[in-house]
Amino acid sequence: MKKLLLFTTILLLLPITLSAQEVALKGKELFGDMQARHIGPALMSGRINDLENHPTNPRILYAGTAGGGVWKSGDGGATFSPIFDDHAQSIGVVTLDPKKPDEVIWVGTGETWTRNSVSIGDGLFKSTDGGSNWKEIEGFEHSERIASIVINPKNTNEMYVGVLGALWSDSEDRGVYKSADGGNTWNKILYVGPSTGAADVIMDPTNPNVLYASMWQFRRTGWGFNSGGTNSALYKSTDSGATWNKIHNGFPAGKLGRIAVAVAPSDGNFLYAVLETEEKDKNGLWKSTNAGQNWEHLNNDFGLTVRPFYFSRITIDPKNPDIVVKGGLNGSISRDGGNTFKSLGQMHSDIHDITFAINNSDIIYSGTDGGVYRSWNGGTTFEIVENLPISQFYHISTDNETPYNVYGGLQDNGSWWGPSSSPNGVEARDWNSVGAGDGFRVLKHPTKKIIYSEMQGAENVWRYDVEKNRTKTIQPLKNEGDADLRFNWNAPMAVSAHAPDRFYMGSQYLHRSEDMGDNWTIISPDLTTNDASKQDQSKSGGLSVDNSGAENHTTIFTIAESPLDENVIWVGTDDGNVQVTTNGGKDWKNVTANLTGIPKNTWVYHIEASVHGKGTAYAVFEGHTSGDMKPYALKTTDYGETWNSIISEDIQENAFVRNIQEDYINEDLLFLGTELGLYVTINGGKTWSHFTNNMPPVAVHYIDLQKATNDIVMGTHGRGVIIIDDISPLRELDQEVLSKDVHFFQNQPFTMVEESGFGGNFGAETQFVGNNKSSAARIVYYLKKRHTFGKMSMELQDMDGNKVSNLNAGKSKGINVVNWNYTTTNPKMAEAKTVSFGGFVSPRVPAGKYKVVLTKGKDTYEHVIETTYDTNSLATLAERKEQEKLTKTLFDMVEDLAYMVYEINTLQDKATEVIEKHPKGKKEAQSLFNALETLRKDLVVTTGDNYVASAENELREEMGELYSNVATSYDRVSGSQKQNLKRITSQFEAEKAKYEAITKKEVVKFYKFLDKNDIPKPEIKTKDAFLDRE
Amino acid sequence: MKIFKSLLIALLLAVITPVSAQTADEIIANYFENTGGEEAWNKLEGIKIIASANAQGMDIPVEVYQLKDGSQLVKINFQGQDITQIAYDGETMWTTNFMTMQPEKSDAETTANMKTKANDFPSPFLNYKEKGFDVELVGNETIEGTDTFKIKLTQKPVMVDGKEQPNVSFYYFDTENFVPIASEAEIPSGPMKGQMSKSTMSDYQEVDGLYFPFDMGMAGQNVIVKEIVINPEVDKTMFAFPN
Repeated sequence: MKKLLLFTTILLLLPITLSAQEVALKGKELFGDMQARHIGPALMSGRINDLENHPTNPRILYAGTAGGGVWKSGDGGATFSPIFDDHAQSIGVVTLDPKKPDEVIWVGTGETWTRNSVSIGDGLFKSTDGGSNWKEIEGFEHSERIASIVINPKNTNEMYVGVLGALWSDSEDRGVYKSADGGNTWNKILYVGPSTGAADVIMDPTNPNVLYASMWQFRRTGWGFNSGGTNSALYKSTDSGATWNKIHNGFPAGKLGRIAVAVAPSDGNFLYAVLETEEKDKNGLWKSTNAGQNWEHLNNDFGLTVRPFYFSRITIDPKNPDIVVKGGLNGSISRDGGNTFKSLGQMHSDIHDITFAINNSDIIYSGTDGGVYRSWNGGTTFEIVENLPISQFYHISTDNETPYNVYGGLQDNGSWWGPSSSPNGVEARDWNSVGAGDGFRVLKHPTKKIIYSEMQGAENVWRYDVEKNRTKTIQPLKNEGDADLRFNWNAPMAVSAHAPDRFYMGSQYLHRSEDMGDNWTIISPDLTTNDASKQDQSKSGGLSVDNSGAENHTTIFTIAESPLDENVIWVGTDDGNVQVTTNGGKDWKNVTANLTGIPKNTWVYHIEASVHGKGTAYAVFEGHTSGDMKPYALKTTDYGETWNSIISEDIQENAFVRNIQEDYINEDLLFLGTELGLYVTINGGKTWSHFTNNMPPVAVHYIDLQKATNDIVMGTHGRGVIIIDDISPLRELDQEVLSKDVHFFQNQPFTMVEESGFGGNFGAETQFVGNNKSSAARIVYYLKKRHTFGKMSMELQDMDGNKVSNLNAGKSKGINVVNWNYTTTNPKMAEAKTVSFGGFVSPRVPAGKYKVVLTKGKDTYEHVIETTYDTNSLATLAERKEQEKLTKTLFDMVEDLAYMVYEINTLQDKATEVIEKHPKGKKEAQSLFNALETLRKDLVVTTGDNYVASAENELREEMGELYSNVATSYDRVSGSQKQNLKRITSQFEAEKAKYEAITKKEVVKFYKFLDKNDIPKPEIKTKDAFLDRE
Repeated sequence: MKIFKSLLIALLLAVITPVSAQTADEIIANYFENTGGEEAWNKLEGIKIIASANAQGMDIPVEVYQLKDGSQLVKINFQGQDITQIAYDGETMWTTNFMTMQPEKSDAETTANMKTKANDFPSPFLNYKEKGFDVELVGNETIEGTDTFKIKLTQKPVMVDGKEQPNVSFYYFDTENFVPIASEAEIPSGPMKGQMSKSTMSDYQEVDGLYFPFDMGMAGQNVIVKEIVINPEVDKTMFAFPN
């Protein structure tokens, strides 16, 4: 009994303790309306892994991208839209159900062209509604890379999945899997070993019992790659995967590498394979005309043998087995059954997949390192798809311009800079190239119009003078007596907050220049482990040597000079060292041994030297190149003597970390860039929240916090540059705020930006255009609960409580953002036959303080904001005030005219009524009507339309036009406009006098008639009622 | 002791049992129950909505008529002129050309698609089975910061650029009170094709026993309802294409 009582008491208390607990909002609950915006760029696009046609509808095409998710085209490849934004963005394969291709889509994640910089996948997914919703399929959580999904067209419950598997470690998840029940249960039906994955699985289109599987032995490390082994083989099954046999009759003995295989859609006996072997002259294309019983070697041209790990896709024309295309550096096409090849037409290099349009083989789609291309003439000329913003940034930085620019380098697509906002949105033409080859770090000189950029392995480091359009190469060069310099593929560089011309680069040493790279001093010993066993890249690649420099190791990877003290410099290396100097490089301390919970030699991906303390820094580590996907981030406040982990369990277990950005104001606010998206903490890392508002779980390689705007700018490896505008509200979030019903966040005074240029999206109809940052006032508030029932409204008032404008209140739980564009309401225009466009112009408000008033049921919440004039204004303050005054004069005049026309119309209506119903009064009524009509015709347009049949302008149109020009101008009111105002004013006065005369003569007579005959007078609203400004 | 026991069990149940699993039908039934009852919704013959579209400094008056037979009309007012933006009388759908201010018929495909949606009034979920629609509870999702039931609604297919396409939309019902607070549908055509358009609904208020959202938002533009007239008197000629 006692126990029971105790238990009951606990239970009774439970709800109470719960409610007293901390408000722990996560993800969408917390971030509410804060949305990320994407600015691309798309003009160079990014790597494509797989293309998939719809089996019957030639308009529909899917692109599975290397790091940017799945995109669907419904217009034959003219434009694409993303359909897979809630899951890992690295895609291996997209397959449609042959019977229900509009509903059932399968996506295997994890790209399969295994270069050094690939992202990881996160399983197998299925949609049953054309891509609107996705369900993860159990059993493939650790697949990492899925190469193939094959469905029996006759029985779509029978399907096969080829798992290539982990790139950097052994894995027993590799192999070929089969399901007989549409994907509910799976059996592994072909498994060779923990280092050999399924590189491709295909089905004979005429006989679904016949399958081919290419198994590939491969492994990557941080410092090398190995393709090939005795386990690589080509298998065939003729019994739906129950038994498998090697089909190597004709192939050379010994180790094999990655094998490409394809069966002709029009004839199941025709097979093509591309081999990587120990005998160089046996590499390249092989053909079988008897379904794999024996093979003939046809071709070992460069285009057929180049980089098999990167290019192993063969595509055969759907109708003609002699037309064969092979992916490659340029892509190759044969029209004689594979005997001879020519290169495909010019497009971005590195072709990973090719498809023919289903009904017309003249139309070819190609997936490259630079996006999707379309050919209309069988592959001779290609054009790029312009709206795939899947660029893969390694790094980004920002400057201090208004609007600020974003700089960054891309996988295989050079280096670029472009504006964070631009008239009409950020278009392709807004981006500027500032480097060649692969691009990595790009930094703006802190004060001069100079940009630093680089290509792979610091083979070239450029100093580009933007104004003079001059480039100079400035990479540190080996001096007499020095060891060879080892630069990472993605070599680190840094500028200084203390000395604008200072420039750092890291090889195994830290190099410092005080003159923008003209002269260099080595200011450190070798800071790496200098492990010789990780330094021989000349043999990297396995069967095909592949020494691109991408595997250079034991190098410095990150450099951070403290913003508080130029003598404090942090260095992190790719082989796990964290080193720090507190005297500008005279002495270095290796603090690696002090790290907690970090496995030995784990890549130090980024160090962030804090603004909150000289000895404070953050370091993030990632071990994915040894198969360790765990997230690691540490903080020190004592120059690396002690470290604490700031990772919580909220972060997905395989979301390894590449970057961290601290807030400059609130030390507890941190942003974490992971392989699976952005995480945010508001409590120094005790808990993390996944940011998913218009932010896919894409690999975030670098984050910058732009100081003037408080924008978080992310360089993603697959979705270009993504920005979260003004994160300052997050600084205020604490338990006190979260427990309030309504909380308005503080804001700085808003500058009413004066801009009125020309834009025009000429030729951009099918282009990606990045979203701009709004220049409106951002009113940001927190709601504890979503408002669903009853009235809630928001308006803007002046400080005396007069309404300035209605605002559309956001009603989400969490953070709401409402934009106000500094205008009040538009004037009420006189009624006429046509529309006067001046009536759509709302005047801007004067600078000053305004109240935001939120009414929620019976409760009212107020918040004061302030607006200021643009310091770049063309007008002086006195001129601005005059413009505001004349705007008001014209606004009132427009409404005076509107009221006068209203009175006239009401009187005319009554006159018409009398003419029709009371013939006795026809004379008075007609004379009134005519007098008013003559007047009205001078006041407003009474004929024509809004286009080319428009009538001559009348007073209303002239007044409206002047009002609009004065109200929207950012310059002083011109002399000509003042003259015009004078003329219009006197004309209006004259018209008013005419009206006055009519009211004294015709109206009096008309009313006399009405009185005499007991006919009610027309009801004319008061002016206030007419204007209806409640 | 007995009381204690049953109290304990009740408490245990309250703590342990998760919010009982809902089916799509239960959610929809709850929605109608909480907003006036299915019977009352079935009796509704038509509505007139008087509203204002707020767009940065401009308040544009809007009037919407919807009748049970599918007739509908959206009228806006610019500078004292009524402009019929969309009208449909059961056969012909038409709009006003803004250049000439003259009525023009909508293209055949748009009109045919309107016809298939004619019995959506007052809600596509009302008697959805008789209408031949399909609903499915997809799962829970956080929308507008709030836990919701995501329900997939499949209506009769529509034609898009000459090809038949499924007509699928998603409705998010607040798990607390079962009213939809947002809906989403794929934009079928035009430059935004393939992207999702999202609408939000809030400020539910009672009108003659039925609850309607008085604030409807779409892409940052909100329509604020001022008044809803139940079973309004209408001159049916206004839906017809003017001769």
